[in-house]
Formats: sequence, structure tokens, C-alpha cells
Amino acid sequence: MFDTTLTWNDLAFLAQGAAMTLAVTAVSVTAGTVLGIIFGVLRVQLGAVWAAPLTFVLDVFRSVPLLIQLVLGNAIQAIAKLGWAPFTTSCVVLSLYTAAYCSEIIRGGIEAVPATTRRAARSLGMTWWQDMRYIVAPLATRVSLPAWIGLTLGVMKDSALVLWLGLIELLRASQILVTRLQEPLFILLICGVIYFVISFPIARFGGYLEKRWSPND
Amino acid sequence: MKFSVLAFSLLATTVLTSQAHADKLDDIISSGTLRCAVVLDFPPMGSRDESNNPIGFDVDYCNDLAKALGVTAEIVETPFPERIPALMSGRVDVGVASTSDTLERAKTVGMTVPYFAFEMAVTANEKSGVKSFEDMKGKVVGATAGTYEAIALEQQVKAWGAGEFRPYQTQADVFLALSQGQLDATVSTSTVAQANVKTGKFPGIAVVGKAPFDIDYVALFTNREEYGLINYLNLFINQQVRTGRYAELYGKWVGGEVPSLSVNGVYR
Repeated sequence: MFDTTLTWNDLAFLAQGAAMTLAVTAVSVTAGTVLGIIFGVLRVQLGAVWAAPLTFVLDVFRSVPLLIQLVLGNAIQAIAKLGWAPFTTSCVVLSLYTAAYCSEIIRGGIEAVPATTRRAARSLGMTWWQDMRYIVAPLATRVSLPAWIGLTLGVMKDSALVLWLGLIELLRASQILVTRLQEPLFILLICGVIYFVISFPIARFGGYLEKRWSPND
Repeated sequence: MKFSVLAFSLLATTVLTSQAHADKLDDIISSGTLRCAVVLDFPPMGSRDESNNPIGFDVDYCNDLAKALGVTAEIVETPFPERIPALMSGRVDVGVASTSDTLERAKTVGMTVPYFAFEMAVTANEKSGVKSFEDMKGKVVGATAGTYEAIALEQQVKAWGAGEFRPYQTQADVFLALSQGQLDATVSTSTVAQANVKTGKFPGIAVVGKAPFDIDYVALFTNREEYGLINYLNLFINQQVRTGRYAELYGKWVGGEVPSLSVNGVYR
């Protein structure tokens, strides 16, 4: 099992792939979360009827397989002659995909804040903004956090699909090594371990925040 | 006020249309980068070395092309089915990817003149006495079942009416049987034959000559409307042969007799 031709060079190559996975995930989750919050708040404020077009578009992003979104996104940027690099295209598509899921999480979080609490806040003379900032945000964040951590971990693993656009991320780097060294089991095992090493701290950090933010009752 | 709006729109139109007139050759030179689609799991044309950097005939060819254009080369790895989609979606400028110049593909992309040719080579066991394709008559021959060369060879054995044809599951099995003397000779692509002989895993075999089967000519390709670039690529291929660089690269990556890139009796 440990009789392998894998060298430190190859491990460095895998590490570069992992860095690409992290970069794509970081950009997509950040942009996706910002967009998701905007869309989520809009959907709650506008109400089901007026938000229907937005909901429909977001549903499209949630229901079409990510691989197809990436390939189509890449084709569209080519037809529109935008000249985006594969990294840009990947991040844009993944951000929209993340935003679609995130808006749902945010909407759920906001709706979990009791209407009575919000009305009480407004009766005290708080503006809409103050109500959102000091009442809704803290409560909704607590409700949304576990789902958001799950989304982040999901996007990190889904980001492997960007290899289709030619980006050499962790999975593609392992594939390249498998082609060259013909040791699929060992290399994929290492690849799996690296994914775990990246994901585990995020999951634990989420667990820590949940604990810290839990009500003291 | 009206005049300035008019002047601005005129200026904008001029700028936009003049940009549209710059062709791909200009774009590559001004961007300073030539992006080549290369297949990297197809040695010796394209593969990766111990540090996972791209190497191979196609990689060197792309680097030569970039040097001629005065830009830097960027190797974009594309699996076989992704070569043309990568060009169409604008991820690469040129395909240097051992692409057969079929008429079907030429409906989609612009093909240059051939830059490489996969010939069929005869590899024989040294004890068999086979020195050419004709010597295979009456001998025990074999090839990888289902491949183009296996079908052609089996038909040839039937036409000769002497000898025996044996199909094998993989290319490695064929060379093993050849090395052990179960086979007298085989026919395979010249690159495959040379690569297997070079590994040293199969002692007692040698590439002895060419087989008169169809030659697989491969061409560079780019967008079919980019005549300026295709013109440049054709001249580049011509210069590679003329300066001896083609023979040099062939010797470096494949070895043996350099295949001719022209077809007798016809232009292009």
C-alpha cells in the first residue's frame, strides 16, 4: 500500500489543487451569501406574489444540475464574447448557485422570527432598518447558521465540477496524477483526506458558533 | 450639444468597428499569450513529467508556435472530446492536439495542412526474420482486437491465404506475445510501436518498417473564419519541416523514420 511512486512534488501539486478549490469556494460563498441575503430579504419584503419572478429564477438555479449550469454559463460567456477566464466563469456560476440556496436559508431564518416580536419592535418606535439590524438579524442568524455551514461545505465539494471548464482544482489534480501514476486508490484516498482536512475546521467552527450563540436558557 | 452627441457616437462607432476588424492573429499577438489545446494523456504527443508539467511533441510544437509569434505559450489541457468545445467557447486560440483532419470536423473548425502523421508500423520479433510488411506473409501475426489495424491486418492475412492472425485484448498483450515469440510480427501506430520498444520491457523486438495502411494525418485547428491565422499556421508548419525542427522533434519524442506530411498526387 505504501509502496508508491508518489513524490513530494505530487503532493505539492495536490496542495495547489486544494488551494484552487479553496479560492473558488471562498469567492463563491462570499459573493453567494451577499447576494443570498439581498434576495432573501427582498423575497420576504415583496411577498410571495411580487417576488414570484425572482423566486422562479432562483428555483431554476436550484433545480438545474450544477454541471449543466457551468457548461451553459461558459457557452453563454463565449457567445456574448465576454472573454472571461474559466476562473471567473466558475465563480460567477457557483455564486449564483450558492445565492439561490442561501436566499432560501435567509428567508427561512427571517420568517422564523416571531411576527409578534417584530411588531413589538416597531411599536417601540424602531425603524424598519433598526428592526432588521437589532431584532431580526441576531435571531435569524442563529436559525440560519447550521444550514449555511452545510451549504458552504456542499459548495466546496460541488466546486469539483469546475474541472469541466479546465480549472485544475483538487479533484482534477488527483485525476492527472492517477493518469500518470496509475495508482487510483492511493491517490483518491489522499484526495479524500485533503477534502476532509479542509472541511473539518469549517464544520467545527460552525459547531462552536452555534454553541456560543445559543440562548442562555 | 447635438453635434457633440453625434461626434461621440461617430467616435464610438469607429472605435467599436475597428476593434471588430482586428482578427485573431492580431488578438493573440496583442494579448501576448497563445493558448493551445493539448491532450495530455496521449504520450508521446502529450503527457506530464515527474513535476506534473506538460511535455510531449504537441507541447513543444505549441511552444515553437508561440516563439514564432513572439508571445508566451499557455498549455490548456483538454481531453479528446473537449478539444473543439474548448475552442468554440473561447478557452483556447489554437488546437495542437493530434486532431485527425476529417471533413466532418472541418465543418466546425478550420483545419491547417497536416503537422504530424500517424503511420502504421511493422514491429517484429528479431528471430522471426521479418524485415518488411511483405515478409509477414505466411507468418503468425496479431494485433489489438477491434482496432483499425487489426481489421486491416486480418483482411490482409486472408488475402495472402497463408499464415495466421491472432487478436489480443490489449496493446501490451500483443507486445508481450511478440517478445515471447508467440507472434512473429504485429502492426500498430508508429508512435505506439516506438514507445513500447523504447520501454525495454519487451526484449528482442524491433520496428522494421511501415505497413501500407491508411495514414492518420493530424492538423492544427482554429476558428474556421480566421483565415489570417490559418494562413500563418500553414506557413509555420511548412517552416517547421523546412528548418528540420519537425524531424528534430520527431526524433526526440517518437524516433525512427520521419513520416512524410504530403500526399502524393494532390495539393495540400
